[in-house]
Amino acid sequence: MAGSALTAGFGALGLSSSVLLAQEGSVLRARIQRDMEVLDPAYMIGAQEMAIQYATMPRLAELDLSGDAVTWKPSEFVTRLELASPTRIEFDLKPGLTWSNDYGEVTAEDVVYSYTRQLEGDWAKRWAAMESIEVTGTHSGAIILKHAYAPFMTVTMCTGVATVVCKAAVEELDEKRFTLNVPATCGPYYISEHIQRQKLTLSANPDWSGTPADFTEIECIVVEDGNAGELAFEAGEIDITKIESASIPRYEENPPENAGIFVAGNLQYAWVGMNTEHPKLQDIRVRQAIQRAINTDSIRQIAFKGVAAEAHGIVPPGILGSRKEHGYAYDPKAAKALLAEAGVEDLELSIVTINNNRERLLAAQIMQQNLAAIGVTLNIQPLESGQFWGYGRESKGDAWKDSQLWIMRFGGNVDPSDYFQWFISEQKGNWNWERWTDEEFDTLYTKALELTDEEERREIYMRLQEIMESTGAYIWLNHEPEAFLYSKSIEPAVDPTGVYLFADIAPA
Amino acid sequence: MISYLIRRTGLSLVIVALVIVALFLMIHLIPGDPVSIALGPRATPEAEARFIEKMKLDQPIYVQLAAFFGNLLTGDLGRDIFTDRPVLDLVLAQLPNTVILAVASLGWAIVIGIPLGCFSAAHPNSAADRITGILSVGTIAVPSFVVSIYALLLLAIELRWFPVIGINDEPGLWAQLRFLTLPAFAVGLGWVGYLARIVRASMLEVLSENHVRAATAFGLPRRKILYNYALRVAILPTITLIGVGFGGLLSGAVFAEIIFTRPGLGKLIFDMVEARNFPVVQGAVLTTALLYVFALLATDVLAAFFDPRMRQKLS
Repeated sequence: MAGSALTAGFGALGLSSSVLLAQEGSVLRARIQRDMEVLDPAYMIGAQEMAIQYATMPRLAELDLSGDAVTWKPSEFVTRLELASPTRIEFDLKPGLTWSNDYGEVTAEDVVYSYTRQLEGDWAKRWAAMESIEVTGTHSGAIILKHAYAPFMTVTMCTGVATVVCKAAVEELDEKRFTLNVPATCGPYYISEHIQRQKLTLSANPDWSGTPADFTEIECIVVEDGNAGELAFEAGEIDITKIESASIPRYEENPPENAGIFVAGNLQYAWVGMNTEHPKLQDIRVRQAIQRAINTDSIRQIAFKGVAAEAHGIVPPGILGSRKEHGYAYDPKAAKALLAEAGVEDLELSIVTINNNRERLLAAQIMQQNLAAIGVTLNIQPLESGQFWGYGRESKGDAWKDSQLWIMRFGGNVDPSDYFQWFISEQKGNWNWERWTDEEFDTLYTKALELTDEEERREIYMRLQEIMESTGAYIWLNHEPEAFLYSKSIEPAVDPTGVYLFADIAPA
Repeated sequence: MISYLIRRTGLSLVIVALVIVALFLMIHLIPGDPVSIALGPRATPEAEARFIEKMKLDQPIYVQLAAFFGNLLTGDLGRDIFTDRPVLDLVLAQLPNTVILAVASLGWAIVIGIPLGCFSAAHPNSAADRITGILSVGTIAVPSFVVSIYALLLLAIELRWFPVIGINDEPGLWAQLRFLTLPAFAVGLGWVGYLARIVRASMLEVLSENHVRAATAFGLPRRKILYNYALRVAILPTITLIGVGFGGLLSGAVFAEIIFTRPGLGKLIFDMVEARNFPVVQGAVLTTALLYVFALLATDVLAAFFDPRMRQKLS
């Protein structure tokens, strides 16, 4: 109450409450986009929960964001984590780390239990490369892989699925799994309060023996609507919020007092896809004509307000295999010539896009104009998200048979393999809506997973993008940023996928 | 009266049952794949399978419906498919926020709107009546979400008098009022005009009736005629209107709840429909339907209390 009275007093003097918070240095208020649902690493649903897992439970590895390329490093919970060989990962836990609720010390048994139960959980595919895991001492153990698997350290070990749970505590649960009622925690923070659909509060863990928490409390406040989140920030009621990329220019031109913009990464990748099997698009010259007729630069500048990174493939900048240029250019004359060569006249096509994204709807309108210039009529079909995500998937109905063009955006991880997995042959009709297959693509994709030489992997991922592009079924659009508006009273810390790193956020 | 109450309660239960059946059908008519929406487009097959099993999506609608009603008889509204929390807990956690918002919104609208309507009726066609009429129609015409946005921008963002995010976890009445003021203002503003117009029209009709003219002829004070005799009769349609309005606000304050990030039943239903979290949607809609019919029932009882003719008819 006294705090709020003080805030009101400072407000009357024209000082924002963010400034006040910086002085207090004890409470961080972060906007989250929905209520937390499942914190159990074996059954979690979304990425948002990872922010809470990272702050409240042990993990062996974390992303190293210090260099130009994102890689991994041992976490604070271990004294050693290393690849003893391409198929053997050894770890030594830091002694003396204790679970809450009197469950004793964190041991290698907990790690073995946590990773073994993953094989039965919803994320078992992430652990498919793991042969076994063994205990070699109270605090030490080794993960044995079936074969070398390049993404294992970043995509598996550095994400929420590698969160360690307390074996004794989970075993006591009726169903041996949990949602938000984490039975035992160990980390700089613990979950002190959860008010359904309002907020989740983390408090500094007094029993934590690692680097002390910088805030006494972190309030994760649920604000679903992006605009409401921005307004709440402007009113000084939250200290950090994710913002839509479309809002970045507005805040750059007219930033709120004491506020900064932080771009955590550009791991989204957007493209225009074409169904290579559709009668109107079967001729590769027609697809290549469309590739050349669409001015992606104007789409980036107008629809996405110049804030999204230019795309030359599916691998975003900063990730191994990112391309500097692509193999086609905006050239309406060449497009017309290709259509003429294919003997196509009065072509009428349709493009689908998700209906609640203004940028993509505007992009579709620009494409409509671009294609009209070469005599192609483009009809825009905005679809509700449920319809859109089932549009090209055979398992969701017959809509894929009529699919022609679509604007698609996926999000990726820090390992390039994550980007290509959706386009291998077995994904045809699932996420490979473009419906092509290529033996070389499949072979190289699998080979790259097992390589440890970065240069060799880079070359393969470059080649995979060439193969994709050569189908004529892709027009690379952009890589949208994960952007956050933050009070300069704090040092923001968010991983490239947009997950808060609460343990690393500190007062400025 | 008691038999009337029993009949009305029975009818109310039938209405609620029909609402649930209609809801079930509507949910399954929504286009798009509920699994992709609920779990995200790239959910693992294992998670998808678990979702389908939990939601009973692999079973015919009538089986799902029968299971729902079966559980309902034991007081079980089901469980949230994501967090496994009881739906009843989720709904009960949101309900007080919505009731408080509805009461506060209608409360201030009643306090301002009814006297304003009486004043207009007492001074028909005067300048004050015309100004009141223009303001009343004006407030009715402006949608509550527009009022919400402007109130938010001016009073919360610019002047910082009120909070933007509607989480009222600070103790004390003042803190509660700070969080409640803007949403209640935005939702209630239209009702001020609405009630003023209804009361004015009813009052003018009653004032022209013989018993009022007789009271005037006997020289009773104008104030006594207006508030003791005319208003008591004229308030009856207003009570019905308030009852319907209160019922509607329990599920219809969704704009204010979204704009002010205020937890409540309307927002819960909206979010859960978007997430295709059907058990929560069904539980929350059932609750709002029950509240709605209860509000209507209470309105009828209240109307009977005020109107001796209706009391006589019912008995």
